[in-house]
Amino acid sequence: MNDDELITILRDQRDKVPMNTPVEQIISRGRAVRARRRVPVVAGALGAAAAVAFAVSAAPPASHPVSGPRAQLAAWTVARQADGSIRVTIRELRDPAGLQRTLRADDVPASVTFTDRRNPACHDYLGGGSQSQPRSLLSSVATPSAGGRDAMVIHPSALPSGAGLQIDALFQHYPGPRGSLQVGVGLVQASPQCTGS
Amino acid sequence: MGTQRLDFADFYREAKNECLFAVLVSVGDRDTAQDLVDEAFARAWASWRTVSRHPAPAAWVVRTALNTSISRWRRRRREVPVPDLALVADRPAADGGADSSVDPRIMAALLRLPARQRQVVALRLFLDLDTAGTAEVLGIAPGTVQAHLGRAMAALRGDLIPTRQEESQ
Repeated sequence: MNDDELITILRDQRDKVPMNTPVEQIISRGRAVRARRRVPVVAGALGAAAAVAFAVSAAPPASHPVSGPRAQLAAWTVARQADGSIRVTIRELRDPAGLQRTLRADDVPASVTFTDRRNPACHDYLGGGSQSQPRSLLSSVATPSAGGRDAMVIHPSALPSGAGLQIDALFQHYPGPRGSLQVGVGLVQASPQCTGS
Repeated sequence: MGTQRLDFADFYREAKNECLFAVLVSVGDRDTAQDLVDEAFARAWASWRTVSRHPAPAAWVVRTALNTSISRWRRRRREVPVPDLALVADRPAADGGADSSVDPRIMAALLRLPARQRQVVALRLFLDLDTAGTAEVLGIAPGTVQAHLGRAMAALRGDLIPTRQEESQ
C-alpha cells in the first residue's frame, strides 16, 4: 500500500460519520451565541398587546437628564445624562431609523435594526485583529440600566477609535400570547455604510 | 430566508461531515465531537460575515471546536482526569457512533496517533488544507506539519497494512 492508497482509504471514512444536526438547530444555537456576546438588556415578559399599551404611556427616564430627554417617542427614548452617558430605552419595535439618527446626532456611531438581520455593511469589531470580540470592552461601552429592565446606558467615551455600536431588538415569542422584547448591542467596525461615520 | 442564511446553509451542508470527522479524530468521542462541532458551527453562524470571508471556513470551524474542547478540559481538569486516547480508541464509542459505518480499525489507528499528528491528519487529509494552511491553523511551522504528517502516515501504514493483508488472505 502506497501513501496515495492509504490516503484514499482514510478519506473514504469522512462521510461515514454523518452529522445529523439540522441547520435550523445550528442557527438557533447561533442566536444564543450572539445573545451571549451582547450586553443583555432584556425587557421582562410582555404580552404582545401590552407592547402597544406601552407605546402610549411612555414614561420619562428614571434618571435626571441634564436637559431633559433629547427625544421621547412612544417606541423608544434617548436621554443624555449628567456624566455624558446616554440612556436608551426601547419599548416597542418601531422606527429603528429614527433611533439610529438620534444616536448618531448624539455622537454615537450606531446601526439600529429591529429584525434578526443586521445591516450587511456592518462587520464585527475585532479589537486589533483577534477572532473574538473583546467582551470586557463591550461591557464598558454599554451596560444594562440599573433603573429599568428595558433600558441600557451607552458610554460614548469608552468607544475605541474605529468602533461603533450595532443595536438590534427582537420580539421573542413564547408559546401562547406572551413574549419578551430582546435588545442586544455589539461592537462593529465604524464605517459610513454601517454606523454613519 | 435571507441571503446570509442561504450562504451559511450551503456551507453547513457541504462541510458538516468532514468537520465532524476531523474533530472526532481529534477528540475520540462521537458525542463530544458532535457537541463541539454543533457549537463551532453556531459560532460560525453568529460571526458569518467574518467567517464567510475566511480562506478556509471549515478549518475555522474545526479550530473553534478544538479550542472549545481545550477550554472545557481546562475547566474540568481538576475534577475529571483526561482519558488516554489510546485507550479510548478501543472503546465502541470511538467507532463514530451507532449510525456510523466507519471502519473501527481505521478509527482506532487514527486515535492511537499523538494529538498533534491527529490534528495534522485531520486538517491535511480530511479538510484538504495545504501545508501552509494547516500550519497557520495550528500555529506551527510548515516544516513541522510535514514532519508530523510523515510520522503519522508511517504509523498508520504500520498499523493498517498488516490488517489489510490479513483481510486479503
